[in-house]
Amino acid sequence: MKLQQLWKVFREGMQNVPKVMGMNRRNLAYVYPNNPRRNFEYANDKLLTKRTLEHAGLNIPKTYFSVSYFYELTQIEAELRRLSSFVIKPASGSGGNGIVVIVDYDEGRWISISGKEYSFEMIKKHIADTIFGVFSFGLNDTAIIEERVVQDERITVLSPQGLADIRMINYKGKNVKAMLRIATEASDGKANLHQGGIGLAIDLESGKSFSAQIERENVTHHPDTGVVLLDVAIPYWKELVVLCEAVAEVIPMGYLGIDIAISEQGLVVLEVNARPGIEIQNIADEGMIERLESIEKGLKCLV
Amino acid sequence: MFKYLKSAPFLYQLSLFVLLSITASLMSYKLFVLDYELADLIPTVGYEVEVSMQVSGHGEKVSLSTYLPQTSMYQSISEERNSPDIFTTQIKVDGLNRIISWQAPNVKETHIVRYRYFAQPEHVKYKIDKDIVIEKELPKYLFSYIQEEEGVQVHDPLIAATITKLFGEKEPDTYTALYTIHNYLQHSFENRNFSGFTDALTALKLQEASCNGKSRLFIALTRHLGLPSRLVGGLILNPGSKKTSHQWVEVYVKGHWIPFDAINNYFAEIPKNYLRLYYGDKVLFKHSANINFQYLFHISKKLVPRKEMRETMYASPLNAFNMYKIFESIGISQNLLKIILMIPLGALVVVIFRNVIGFETFGTFLPALIATAARETGLWWGLAGFFFIILISALLRKFLDYLQLLHSPKMAVMLTVVVILMMLMTIFAVQSSMFDLAHISLFPIAILAITAERFAIIQEEQGFLKALRISFFTAVVIMAAYAVMSSHFMNSLIIAFPELLLFLIVLNLWLGKWVGMRLSEFVRFRKLIFKAER
Repeated sequence: MKLQQLWKVFREGMQNVPKVMGMNRRNLAYVYPNNPRRNFEYANDKLLTKRTLEHAGLNIPKTYFSVSYFYELTQIEAELRRLSSFVIKPASGSGGNGIVVIVDYDEGRWISISGKEYSFEMIKKHIADTIFGVFSFGLNDTAIIEERVVQDERITVLSPQGLADIRMINYKGKNVKAMLRIATEASDGKANLHQGGIGLAIDLESGKSFSAQIERENVTHHPDTGVVLLDVAIPYWKELVVLCEAVAEVIPMGYLGIDIAISEQGLVVLEVNARPGIEIQNIADEGMIERLESIEKGLKCLV
Repeated sequence: MFKYLKSAPFLYQLSLFVLLSITASLMSYKLFVLDYELADLIPTVGYEVEVSMQVSGHGEKVSLSTYLPQTSMYQSISEERNSPDIFTTQIKVDGLNRIISWQAPNVKETHIVRYRYFAQPEHVKYKIDKDIVIEKELPKYLFSYIQEEEGVQVHDPLIAATITKLFGEKEPDTYTALYTIHNYLQHSFENRNFSGFTDALTALKLQEASCNGKSRLFIALTRHLGLPSRLVGGLILNPGSKKTSHQWVEVYVKGHWIPFDAINNYFAEIPKNYLRLYYGDKVLFKHSANINFQYLFHISKKLVPRKEMRETMYASPLNAFNMYKIFESIGISQNLLKIILMIPLGALVVVIFRNVIGFETFGTFLPALIATAARETGLWWGLAGFFFIILISALLRKFLDYLQLLHSPKMAVMLTVVVILMMLMTIFAVQSSMFDLAHISLFPIAILAITAERFAIIQEEQGFLKALRISFFTAVVIMAAYAVMSSHFMNSLIIAFPELLLFLIVLNLWLGKWVGMRLSEFVRFRKLIFKAER
């Protein structure tokens, strides 16, 4: 009897296998055919991403200036001292490496979001490191100095420890799945799922959260604040859905992860990812193949 | 039509077809036209023998000598390596034997001389016909084998009396003579396990003896009957370390030297693990007086390709070995080639672990390369050395990070430290006589430095536990790649049929199009797949 049950679980499980996307399938069936290698730049070079989106009239964090060459470092001081809050980002960095968030300027010194004080020399050193590729695997890089995104109060309630962002998977211009990534104390203020951040699955139609997970365990409340996570409506959802489709239109790749922050002023596109992860299926408690295939079918009908 | 011929799916299928047919036709040519035997691919047992001699002197001239085994129809000796320490070596052939001697003019303190070889003795068994009479007229060159010599008192009255006791007045045929003497020594004598010299008469009087006493008595009795016989000195090859050598007897019958071991009861037969070192009544080791001398044999079992396999391949024109000889002519040894040829197989193992099983490892082919290097150090030393180097250099990387260096110079520092670590490990290994570990310097240095960097980055970004997990998976894949790459079957197979590399490409082409779920993803997405579980 026991064995029969196991066999049944196994047989039904095997029927579910084609609904779940694995790494091999993501790469072979979605990334390689839809994201040509030469267009990876649109995701990997954040300056190019920003220029492309800005050109299309889409909202991005404003770029104050960028530094690509060592000699430019002598010319940035005056410009920098006019700014009391900004973000330094490597244009080709990944995983949040080398990002410094400055929130205040006081008596010639800047204060970062974690409370660390920065002199001009320290900022210059960080930018120099970025240019020499310390944060991007030895490649020469560009440092982007951009506007700091201050997030919408309604999102801050959900993610008081740091900037939360929406990750949307988009296939050939159609949205596939969405989640909100929330920072926690355990994730050290980064909205990073494999470091203890919360993944909050959002329903595409209603824009409401329906499932939350921390490291694959289902939760209902924020572990640090106790705020309820489920059935929360994400502000600007209708606009967000349209924005993602607009991003997919201008970025010349067919299978994308689009990261969007919800700021005080509205929606801001943070980044585009050409190899979006597949963990979103666990967060949403549903495989994504069926949705991808129905999109494919819908497109064929249109043609 | 033309468009289809240029399309990716067609070219993919065409590549598979072309590669498969080349592989299949080359293999069938070898199997059916050149008569390669598949059964010969199954490896056979051989023994790695090391004799180490420790000498302590006080500044005097020292010489040592011993007998080296020779390749004959009963045994094959290969891969001989001499580690003479401070001594100069000389090898000479003396009659049937090969003698190696080491000399040094001024020996102070302790020195160790090592000699290693690979030995594959054969099982030998004869059937002696019952009607062979003992020949009265012997050719001249056999005279010395029926004469009396020191310790073998052929004409002593006691020996004569024993012969009369065993056979009466009748003259026995060869078979009866040997059978009776063998059984007499086997059953009426106690085996004694001491290493001193026992002559034939003493053994007879005491009715007990070690191998040399029994063998001398065997020789005295057979020679008394006119059967030419001689002593054989050698080693019984069992894995482990030992000091004891062994002696047995060979008797000349109708053009063959037939072996007998009255201690271990082998009649006209010796087993597969008897290694012949010398013929005649000799002392295995000789050394100058007034020095402290110790020796030890160390024996380990190894599986190797069959001799027949090697011979068939040497004989054929389209054969792998002739191809390998081209490489040998520019100094690339066959052993190195064998290792190089196995790397694609290791790579396939890594691909299977990464894309089918879903193991995350450091570097794409790092496990295959470490497994390759571990063939010299042995698997466990290889793994230990690998993780020691990675851990130390990851710690160093943390320190360098604190100094905030640029990427390339930082990596150069790590590389240098890896080199220094490997040198230190080699010196340490040699000092403490761990010669396998000493081969650690064959590790791919640059790849180790990059791996240490990866380890440190993962440790920083995703935590120490994650880095340990990946290390564990890497170790598992190294072990799997090692097992496959050092399998003698695979070795023989690829050396005999190097065209199988094309088949490996086919497998990779197929795996490169495989969109199935990785095994690890069944675990990762178990909630989505096995919904009924809840």
